[in-house]
Amino acid sequence: MRKKLFLLTLVLFSALLLSACGGTVRGTTWPGLAADDTTAYLADLSLVYGINLKDGAEAWRFSDPDDNKAQFYATPVLTSDGLIIVGSASGKHILYALNPQDLITNGDFKNPAIEWTFTGAGGAWVAAPLVVENKLFAPNADGNLYVLDLSDGQSQKQPIATIELGGRLWAQPVTDGKRVYVTSLDHRVHAVNLADYTIAWQADLAAAIPGAPALGPDGNLYVGSLASKLERFNPETGAHQSVLDAEYWLWSTPVLDGSTLYFGDLKGNFYSFDAVNSKLNWSIQPDGAITANAILQNDHLLLATESGNLYAIGKDGKTLWFETVGGKIYTTPVVAGDLILVAPLETDFYLAALDSNGRQVWTFPAKK
Amino acid sequence: MWNLFVSIFINVLLWIYDIIGQNFGVAIILFTILIRIVTWPLNAQQMKGAKAMQDLQNDKEWQAIQKKYAKDREKLAQEQMRLYRERGINPFGSCLPTLIQFPILIALYQSIIRALAATPLDLLKLSQSINPNFLDVANLIPLNSKFLWMNLGQPEPYYILAIIVALTTYIQSKLTLPPATNPNDQSAAMGQSMAITMPLMLGWFALTFPSGLSVYFITSNLLGIVQYAAQGKANWSNLLPKGLRKE
Repeated sequence: MRKKLFLLTLVLFSALLLSACGGTVRGTTWPGLAADDTTAYLADLSLVYGINLKDGAEAWRFSDPDDNKAQFYATPVLTSDGLIIVGSASGKHILYALNPQDLITNGDFKNPAIEWTFTGAGGAWVAAPLVVENKLFAPNADGNLYVLDLSDGQSQKQPIATIELGGRLWAQPVTDGKRVYVTSLDHRVHAVNLADYTIAWQADLAAAIPGAPALGPDGNLYVGSLASKLERFNPETGAHQSVLDAEYWLWSTPVLDGSTLYFGDLKGNFYSFDAVNSKLNWSIQPDGAITANAILQNDHLLLATESGNLYAIGKDGKTLWFETVGGKIYTTPVVAGDLILVAPLETDFYLAALDSNGRQVWTFPAKK
Repeated sequence: MWNLFVSIFINVLLWIYDIIGQNFGVAIILFTILIRIVTWPLNAQQMKGAKAMQDLQNDKEWQAIQKKYAKDREKLAQEQMRLYRERGINPFGSCLPTLIQFPILIALYQSIIRALAATPLDLLKLSQSINPNFLDVANLIPLNSKFLWMNLGQPEPYYILAIIVALTTYIQSKLTLPPATNPNDQSAAMGQSMAITMPLMLGWFALTFPSGLSVYFITSNLLGIVQYAAQGKANWSNLLPKGLRKE
């Protein structure tokens, strides 16, 4: 009896520990999502999918046969010549350029050809890179901002510059045409000159910055941080001041509408902030933490929350409608044509397409 | 409820990390010592229970009912339970404290993963696990995951920790094994089996899971050895090859 109990204990222990490792979510973190006029691009676990917007059918899928530990969750980036750039967060940490115009049939699936790779990074690709003309600015969790030449024709890219910024770089940079602005988990905001890739300035916010900065209509740079403050930067000098104290940590990137910024915090508050007059217009608390950026749609905003709901919120802060998508939504939704694309976690589908009134059009994979 | 349990672990771990100068490896070691102190009564009860069960195996009445009811399992179980009651022994007394330690291990694993926040989801969960009134975690993040040669959020690649984990687990298991006086002693056989199984299993965990967990295993094992030795219950002769032991 005691031997059986001992064996049972071992099995229970192993099962508990392993279940604790897997957790209840599908992935190790939330997926990356992008779209063009015809296709949605979803980076989720070991695969990157191309999904037809028309019907939600799989157009292609990508996994690296030479790196079975590769996991994808950085938002894929589309280049003007039709390539999809996406990096892996584990395994060999490779940045891939996929060519969906060149599909190779592999059994039941179609795989895009790899146009080029960059294998020189030492950390996870969490952030989406930024394309500026024919250059790619790719921030990596190893603390480096890699600059790649997209027009050099090389299949194995070598960086034309490696800018050591430090900390983990998790957010896509932004540019105003003079400088590239990059945030880091090591509490700093960096400005890199586009002309010569030198660091123009660096500023310490005394708290990690997981979200991307936003360039405001006033030409200033706005950055939210885990210090629960919205900071306004002079992009020329890096001088900054706090303009709003949020209730809790700021992750999402502010979205701009004229002089108004909209953004959420991890306590679920959603703010409307007048950047010109530096005053809070209103704040509401729909439900659940907000990591996703809001999306501006003509006369309203779309907002996804951790509770799995998608809200349409008027510019006066009133809820126009909301739809329960399911699971937990952390990824910023994408509007593609008439569709709103949402990629939740903890559901039996990876992607849902809703119409402009929030009604579900299809899911990927299709519901059985 | 479970999240609350993990949250307490994370807050205490980060508090220790903060006050000792932001060394997560040392924070895990100190946290393990704290856990050992808190669970000291459980460990003591486990040792007491194991000893009582061991003594019972050598009890004449126990051996007699084993023989008498060898072919009647139901009756044997009834008689065993009667003896347990009469002697004031809880048959699960040595197992329950061990079982209670499993959730601690799992919570610690989750705490380490969340605290080191290697992915956005881990960082989000961390934000939902900490008490901002208790700790200014925003200023602490990202934690320094480097300790000696290790990245505490990743498995240790050189197998050094796995070997130390397996070795210290083996030594601890052996030291706690009472000398077998009865060749048919089931608990002694089980103890021998455990002394092999547990080091292999924990060694495998050390290979697979973040090295922060291995730091916990090693610290916990060493403290266990010290605890047994301090109570004069460590059976050092078990570490010697059979031929060299004093029987």
